[in-house]
Amino acid sequence: MKNLKIVSLYLLALLAFGFSSCKSEDPEKENDGEVITDVTLKFQELNESNALIGDILSFKASDPQGIEVGKTPAVQSISLTKGKKYQMTIEVSNSIEGEDITQEILEEAEKHQFFFLGQVFDSSFFTIQYADGDGIGLGLKNIVTVSSSTGTNNSSMRVVLRHDLDKKVSGTNPNFSNFVQAGGETDLDITFPVILN
Amino acid sequence: MIQKAILLLVLILSLNSALHAQKCELVLRGRVLHKENNQPIEAAYVWILESKSGISTDANGNFILRDLCPGKYTLQIQYLGHKEIKQQLTLNAGSSNQTFLMEEEAVDLGGVEVHGHRESVQTTTAVQSLYGEELLQSRGESLGESLKRVAGVTTFSTGNTISKPVIHGMHSNRILILNNGIRLEGQQWGAEHAPEIDPFLAEEITVIKGAETVRFGPEAIGGVILVNPAALPTSKISTTEINLVGSSNGRAGNVSVTHVGGSGKIAGLGYRIQGSSKKAGNIQAPNYFQGNTGMSETSFSGALGYSSKKLGTEAYYSFFRTELGILQDAHTGNLSDLQQIIKNGAPFTQAAFTYSLDNPKQVVAHHLAKLKAHYHLNPSWKLNFQYGFQANHRQEFDRRRGNRNARPSLDLELFTNTLEVFVDHNLKSNWTGSLGVHLIQQANSNVPGTGVTPLIPNYDMFNGGIFLMEKYLKGPLELEGGLRFDYRTVTAARYVGNELQKADLSYQNASAFFGGLYQLSPSLSFTSNLGTAWRPPNVNELFSQGLHHGAAAVEIGDANLNSEKSLKWVNGLTYEGKRSTLELTGYANKIRDYIYLNPTGETFVSLRGTFNVYEYLQADALFYGLDVSGTYSFSDQFNGYAKGSIIRAKNMETERFFPFIPSDRMDWGLSYSFGAKGIKESNRLTVSNLLVSRQNREPNFDLAPAPAGYGLLNVDYAKKIQVAKNELSISVQVSNLLNTEFKEYMNRFRYFTADMGRNFQLKFNYQF
Repeated sequence: MKNLKIVSLYLLALLAFGFSSCKSEDPEKENDGEVITDVTLKFQELNESNALIGDILSFKASDPQGIEVGKTPAVQSISLTKGKKYQMTIEVSNSIEGEDITQEILEEAEKHQFFFLGQVFDSSFFTIQYADGDGIGLGLKNIVTVSSSTGTNNSSMRVVLRHDLDKKVSGTNPNFSNFVQAGGETDLDITFPVILN
Repeated sequence: MIQKAILLLVLILSLNSALHAQKCELVLRGRVLHKENNQPIEAAYVWILESKSGISTDANGNFILRDLCPGKYTLQIQYLGHKEIKQQLTLNAGSSNQTFLMEEEAVDLGGVEVHGHRESVQTTTAVQSLYGEELLQSRGESLGESLKRVAGVTTFSTGNTISKPVIHGMHSNRILILNNGIRLEGQQWGAEHAPEIDPFLAEEITVIKGAETVRFGPEAIGGVILVNPAALPTSKISTTEINLVGSSNGRAGNVSVTHVGGSGKIAGLGYRIQGSSKKAGNIQAPNYFQGNTGMSETSFSGALGYSSKKLGTEAYYSFFRTELGILQDAHTGNLSDLQQIIKNGAPFTQAAFTYSLDNPKQVVAHHLAKLKAHYHLNPSWKLNFQYGFQANHRQEFDRRRGNRNARPSLDLELFTNTLEVFVDHNLKSNWTGSLGVHLIQQANSNVPGTGVTPLIPNYDMFNGGIFLMEKYLKGPLELEGGLRFDYRTVTAARYVGNELQKADLSYQNASAFFGGLYQLSPSLSFTSNLGTAWRPPNVNELFSQGLHHGAAAVEIGDANLNSEKSLKWVNGLTYEGKRSTLELTGYANKIRDYIYLNPTGETFVSLRGTFNVYEYLQADALFYGLDVSGTYSFSDQFNGYAKGSIIRAKNMETERFFPFIPSDRMDWGLSYSFGAKGIKESNRLTVSNLLVSRQNREPNFDLAPAPAGYGLLNVDYAKKIQVAKNELSISVQVSNLLNTEFKEYMNRFRYFTADMGRNFQLKFNYQF
């Protein structure tokens, strides 16, 4: 009987320990480093000998809250001149955490690829080719040629960033509209209005 | 091997002074004990052949048969794995009291069991178990897949590696799974969170199809699954069981070893250790591999028990760890990705076979420790104590940018304490019952450093319950009823952006049940049970806010949700004849404030693209249906079986249907046994056919229409070989023999891929 009492005392102590140690931690704020809040397309004119001239034109799409219910992103219109050739670079960042995601994409060039679609290409207003160098089909740097004869001044361009895709399938065609067939998932899908002067 | 001597210790006591013995008022009281250690046998079946009345023994091995006329009777006592007792006795006056000692029999899983088996839980709701030969057939499968053998149980799955059992249309937090008597507490709210349990540890898996909140606590709205290991030995034995399973599809290998031993020096001391391991690669659909669908699993459990005349104790520990790959292409970035793959109907990625796992994947570890004791205060009262501690660690890895692939995007630690203290009584009258308290305490923490705002908050939950159950036994009639009251508090906290959000919630509920069993004849019994159950809303239903990664859905919780309250009526009819058996279960379950995820029809636009928006809503729901299973012996060689279930579920407010309700299905087969009679070498060939109809009762909104119905052909050849004194079972199983391409409505990945193709399996079971 005495043993039983000791055993039950131990048991009680164990239980008290078990129940009191079972307490949740205080929540900590997470740094949502991967969220993309800002995408900037930068255009600079190229002359006949492919040298950069003139000012840089920046057009931005931003969603300061990241992915959150009830907020829609603000997308600026791209305004370019007919018949000109531009170098287009893309900058991607997270303004919430102050992170530059462009560099991450560049480091993982094998796993990422931008695709450029929409009416500007369907109607042949734009032609585009990757110009990242080394023949990598990535799309952070491109050459865009605007047709000199477009029927309308208003159009649109869809910019898609895919992640974890099979680049053997997608190849180096920036206009590859069947990008889903290369697998992977979408990180960005933004349609910019385009104004042609 | 089979000893002839049945030791019967007859002790007749006149308890009443039996002076005015009138006709047919005699009482036969008795107790059934293990011969080896005098421990009571629960649920042994006691029959009086002449009066066709019978009863099963209670937890203390006691039984009472009343209203007997004076005369000669034949008493028959049966219990699984024990030699049947058949005894003549003469009743003259008053009541008599006898003790019966049952002797263990060399377990012959061939045929004895079917007749001798009684369920591990005594309840008046419909109960069905998987054990013996049928459990052997299911070895190597997950818990969910194994339980598909029980009529009325289906699975809710995410691909072919993650499957959750569904009882009468309910799953996740609406059912309970008990690992050796302890409520399994993982992150079971998630559709893609499979139960953290290894079916190899079970000797028997029991499905209770009724509302059993009173007995087991909140959330048991749909039913309860008991995963029970073999009882610990109390005498000197040593047995080892080895299972080996190999599968062609996924090129999977699975090994499990169980060793059970009893001490010869210390009577009543026994132990059991069990371990298993599994590895599988990419699953193959009929026309392609499903990329990244491999898995590996390790589990271990051990138990040590000691029982003496008054005291019984058991310590138990189980560990489960799994690493599961998730079909790559099912993880979509936005709605347009999702629509494209649904349109394609198959993954875009051309995968090859590999064992290696990539993101997305899950790594889950679960520890469960339990201490259990009972003490006989006196012959009619017993004190019970059970304490369980569980630690669940779930990590989910997504495809991420930068160096984040090694960092989980969901990292949850859940600790659960459960404590039950209750007294059982077994009075000399016809009443038995129990009364007790049941405490559950839970703490959930997000492990910081995921770089993703957590889906669910950190929280502390406490649930206290008191319960009372009573059972009245009289002849072939058994009536039981119970009451329970629960109080629950939930304290949650988390950061949304820079803002700390806190919530304090409390819930309370009373539940009750009443049921009866009537043994119409030795072969026919009828049960009926009406019970209420409740389920407080879960944290994800209360607090979800944001993107469900990979599902291209934004989910919005509601902190003001009420508890679900259900009223379930289950009726069962069981017939066990000489050539045939039949089991019918009919039920209706009305649920007030059923919580469901409803598409709002709105979409949400972000830089990443468009997402569907879903919100948690409540509505009254009605579930009803029928399960049928039966067997028929055409001859000693030819046997047939059929089982099926139909279920209907409706939103009573909108008159529409809920998503992911199993469609009508049936499974039937014929088996042919051959081989020399008399010796223990047997062969059995079974051909079976699973038929699943299309789910025509679809909700208003679904990403894709319900897939077509399908039929699968399966073949199983089993052979038993006697190796010295031991038995070796070998079986070859082929599932989906014709390599039919099909999609199951209850598989969430039906949007992305066809289900598993043909699979050859080779299974060995050796016991020595």
